[in-house]
Amino acid sequence: MTISLADRIRDGVYRSGLLVLLAALIVTFAVSLPAFGTPRNAVIILQSVAITAIIALGVTISLTVGGFDLSVGSTVSFVVMLTTASQVYFEAPPVVAVLLGLVAGAGIGLINGLLVVVARVPDLLATLGTMFVFAGLALVITAGQSVSSGATFDGQPAPGRITEGFAWLGRGDVLGLPVPVVVMVVLGVVVTVMLSRSRLGRLLAAVGGNADAARLAGVRVGRLKVTAYVLSGTLASVGGVLLAARLGRGDVGVGGAYLLETVAAALIGFAVLGANRPNGFGTLVGAVFVGVLLNGLTMLDVPYYTQDLIKGAILVGALVMSFSALFKRKDAS
Amino acid sequence: MLSARSVVQRFGATTALAGVDLEVRAGEVLGLVGANGAGKSTLMAVLAGLLAPTEGRVEVDGEPVVLGIPAAADRHGIALVPQHVETALVPELSVAENLVLFALARGELGPLPGRRRIRAAARAIAGDDLLQRAGIRLDARAGTLRTAQAQQLLIRRALHRGARVLILDEPTAALSVTEQRELHEQVRRLAAEGTAVVYITHHLAEFVGLADRVVALREGRVVDAFDAPIEPARLVSAILGPIEHLPEERPVREAGEVVLALRGLRSRADAPPVDLQLRRGEVLGITGLLGAGKTELLRQVVGAEPLVDGTMTLDGTAFAPRHPADAIARGIGFVPEDRRRDAELPEWDLVRNTTLAELRPHHRFGLLSARSERSATAALIRSLGIVAAGPRALLSSLSGGNRQKVVVARWLAAGSRVLVLDEPFRGVDLGARGDIGALIRSSAVEAALVASSDPEEILEVADRIVVLAGGAVVGEFRPDELDEARLAELLVTSTAKDLA
Repeated sequence: MTISLADRIRDGVYRSGLLVLLAALIVTFAVSLPAFGTPRNAVIILQSVAITAIIALGVTISLTVGGFDLSVGSTVSFVVMLTTASQVYFEAPPVVAVLLGLVAGAGIGLINGLLVVVARVPDLLATLGTMFVFAGLALVITAGQSVSSGATFDGQPAPGRITEGFAWLGRGDVLGLPVPVVVMVVLGVVVTVMLSRSRLGRLLAAVGGNADAARLAGVRVGRLKVTAYVLSGTLASVGGVLLAARLGRGDVGVGGAYLLETVAAALIGFAVLGANRPNGFGTLVGAVFVGVLLNGLTMLDVPYYTQDLIKGAILVGALVMSFSALFKRKDAS
Repeated sequence: MLSARSVVQRFGATTALAGVDLEVRAGEVLGLVGANGAGKSTLMAVLAGLLAPTEGRVEVDGEPVVLGIPAAADRHGIALVPQHVETALVPELSVAENLVLFALARGELGPLPGRRRIRAAARAIAGDDLLQRAGIRLDARAGTLRTAQAQQLLIRRALHRGARVLILDEPTAALSVTEQRELHEQVRRLAAEGTAVVYITHHLAEFVGLADRVVALREGRVVDAFDAPIEPARLVSAILGPIEHLPEERPVREAGEVVLALRGLRSRADAPPVDLQLRRGEVLGITGLLGAGKTELLRQVVGAEPLVDGTMTLDGTAFAPRHPADAIARGIGFVPEDRRRDAELPEWDLVRNTTLAELRPHHRFGLLSARSERSATAALIRSLGIVAAGPRALLSSLSGGNRQKVVVARWLAAGSRVLVLDEPFRGVDLGARGDIGALIRSSAVEAALVASSDPEEILEVADRIVVLAGGAVVGEFRPDELDEARLAELLVTSTAKDLA
């Protein structure tokens, strides 16, 4: 059977559309804006999306099992307050503060997983609930105050401060690259390989593909769902630690914005390479795509208040590519 | 009164009804029987106006009518009470609101019907006698009703709408014996008053003394009709059809020691205990009508459902799977009845569908080796004769028979020794059916347990056949000593006992 040219073009657009678009975007900006195509700017772009991308990898894992983690933004907020407050109020060493943050993220994931699996609350509702709870708890632990070196605590000046060692996580360099960018690349590779090449990733995808069939094929569906949420919460807490370090302080409600950003990156990732399902590489591309576009448009003096509109439009476009019948692959044969 | 004329209903390539003529007369109870997939539900849906037939027509009082939407059927006085009554009710609304739903939808109660008005209208529909006798509160949420209560309300609602034809789909499936008897009396009474009742049930013994006429469907056609008095055993023969090809001479296999033993298992808590033994080198067939308890038993054996009662041994040691993974670890593979829901990952390729149950052999340095998975799958595609574009073709691109082969291949890939197959030949073409049958009889499988409601399928593969009815073992055959009349009698035994 011969494949018509129109079908080939459509299939090509479907499979590589977003990558081609990204390349075209970079070339266009680089040609028209001298400041865009510099290595320095590339690093700036990557740094701007690193934390979003790391959290989005967690969202990707929750989407893989057919779930949805709405609590990642609140997890970031909570971890930011926890890591900064533990250092400023209680003089915790940076290592302890970081571990505390990661354990908290895993713990929130565990709660989400148990709500979904044991209490059988639907994913969206369970994580909507914990989203509220942990956004609230983030405020409670500091009595609604932002945390910074020299803040007051119980009417007294707080004893501790944010150390340089901790701030290095957000502002330092490794081999000339910002630490968050290095963490993003490492975790991006690990999560992508885990999802696409490991037994765990295959089983997670089976749960998302058909949980009943997976169970009858011996897959421990409940445990895997809990695992997915724990990983999602942990990755969100990595993002929270890096954010706290970059800001050097604990700002109230700083994580909230990450929910929509990360969900968008993961969903845009569906369209990358025609995967039509959550995938680690796609999520990274999705995050970078948004970063490149915003960076270029900002240089073109497009006002900042249009950013959400632009992100939304990209998301809708990518979703149409993933789900619309217009781009459906006929068949594998 | 209501008649179907040469009704043909196709869904894509499948023909569910291949030209059905049916006459429903005023004041009669018409029974409708047929095996799974015979076309009963489709015919129901056509008569109740849920489906517009591909060809042919439906007539009311001799006039052709265009149905296809429930409101049209309602206008012509045809009402369906579905088997799952909850699907006909809005659980969040009150009983009263549900009763007046049609009237509300048509604006017959005015634009702003108050609660008082709704209650009054609902009371008129349900009747005080029913509300009191069945203890139904009009303000209760419909979701809290018991099946029998909901059923009674739906019948009242239908009659109030002026239904002249009442279609009852498996009305006794969830009723107690007393409730069942009451329903039968009510049906007789309605018929005496001139309502036509179409009655569908797989408890064939129910038709005795209830139905004036029973029509049997098979493969989308009316194959037989019986007038009262009804003999259940003859209905069974009509449903199953003649057993056309008896098994060819097969080498008699020497069954070895017991591999899997079931002691005192029950399909339901109120079902009788079942003992079965599966021996090495044997294919044990289980047959029985719908509702005989086959699926319930098999799902317990493979750990898909918790054991209701009893114990099992596998290879002589205790076997109590709490999760399918436990059964798989002991070498059991399960081919479920509903392949699409319980076995397929349609958007996955053949490789990943095949290796799902056992991925460890494909580990290389902690990661999965695509090459190893692919070559293992390619070998199975060849040996099972799976027709596909290649190992990377999507499962959804295969025909039903080939998909079923992939499900079987999954268990061979996992190294399963004992296969448990529930209705493995449903929606499977004859070629694939032969291949799968040959495979489970081959030395690749140590022993197999096959359940099917079609005795002919069982005869093809089994070395020994157990007949199940009402959850109990009622007989055992060897394929070469089959007696069709005796089989038909066995299949309806328990339903007769239920009513006695």
